[in-house]
Amino acid sequence: MSPRPPTLRENRRYILVRVEPAGTVIDQKELYYTISDAVTSLWGDAAAGVIMQAVVAAEHGHVIIRCRRGTEKELAIALSTVTACRDVRLALRIVAASGTIESLRERIRAGKPVTEPASEIVTGSAGTGGAEPGECVFAEKPFLIAQCNGQKVDVIEKGFKNAHRLFLTRSDLEN
Amino acid sequence: MKITDAAVFPYPCGDTSVRRLALEAKALGFDSLIAMDTPAGSFDGMEILSGIIVQDATMRDVIAKVKRAKDSGAVISVSARDNGFNRAVISLKGVHILRGIQAADKMAFDHVTAKMAADNNVAIDLDLSVLIGARGIARQRAIHRYRDMLTFERRFEFPVTLSSYARSYLDLRAVREITGLCSLIGMDISGVETAFDGVGRVTTPPMSAVRVIS
Repeated sequence: MSPRPPTLRENRRYILVRVEPAGTVIDQKELYYTISDAVTSLWGDAAAGVIMQAVVAAEHGHVIIRCRRGTEKELAIALSTVTACRDVRLALRIVAASGTIESLRERIRAGKPVTEPASEIVTGSAGTGGAEPGECVFAEKPFLIAQCNGQKVDVIEKGFKNAHRLFLTRSDLEN
Repeated sequence: MKITDAAVFPYPCGDTSVRRLALEAKALGFDSLIAMDTPAGSFDGMEILSGIIVQDATMRDVIAKVKRAKDSGAVISVSARDNGFNRAVISLKGVHILRGIQAADKMAFDHVTAKMAADNNVAIDLDLSVLIGARGIARQRAIHRYRDMLTFERRFEFPVTLSSYARSYLDLRAVREITGLCSLIGMDISGVETAFDGVGRVTTPPMSAVRVIS
């Protein structure tokens, strides 16, 4: 099949989305089904057919989602109703919309967060209660540090049972 | 105008500390939030107001709890029930917000209750977690109830607040996203801005009828 000439192609827009919590492993296909489900649930099949959403890339904690031009608003509203992907809790934060994938990739490169090693926060905090590097104590329970980014610290409860993830700040660990 | 999330549930009710919620909410465009069962304060320029929710209680219990909490400076909310209960709660001094109108029975909020809410400066809360998390009939019913309530709001101009009911920072939504979600219930941008300021409206003491100039 020969490609259509540019004037006969549909105009598309690309939405850059940040996936939270940081470090979530994204399966592009699963995320596509999740987004598709959210769009269909909110707007119905007819509108979903017009929006024509698709996940075109997932890289560095970001996802690029394609839609038809003029339907960005509907897609953005539907994206805000996504709360989980295959029982993994997540949130999709819209960063930007563009007409090309390349400009969104530049945006990812420009806004890449600096993630600190877990040991750094332990040595700097007062309330670690003699915990080993990569560990901390919060509410008198031991936690493993999963992610540190500036003030934000994600910790996972130590142990193989009830391994809940908590979202804290450096100040929480210092107090 | 302050942009306020009218209900979040920090650790231990949720998985996010109040400071982290404040950080994330600030990044999403909020100025303040009401944290349930948490002392008031501020963090990184975000104002954190203390909140209390009275739910599943008889009118006698509500009166006792509101009386106890009145001087604490907390924002007091009561969960809606039947029509008679809602009218009694709205006329109770010290109550700031009536919540869960989408979960109450069909006739729980009518034009008389709306007029009373406007007269007593009690806000009606819109729970956005239903629009975000629910699917199918539950969300359809909530949209219908909110649309119905907003027709009264336009007529009687009682305060409205917006709550994410976030138990995790993942449940928070950006101001722009909330504006989009509110468009589902027929709220325009100015309506959303007014609703974000609803908490300020109900917590500010009313202006005195007589003002001494000199």
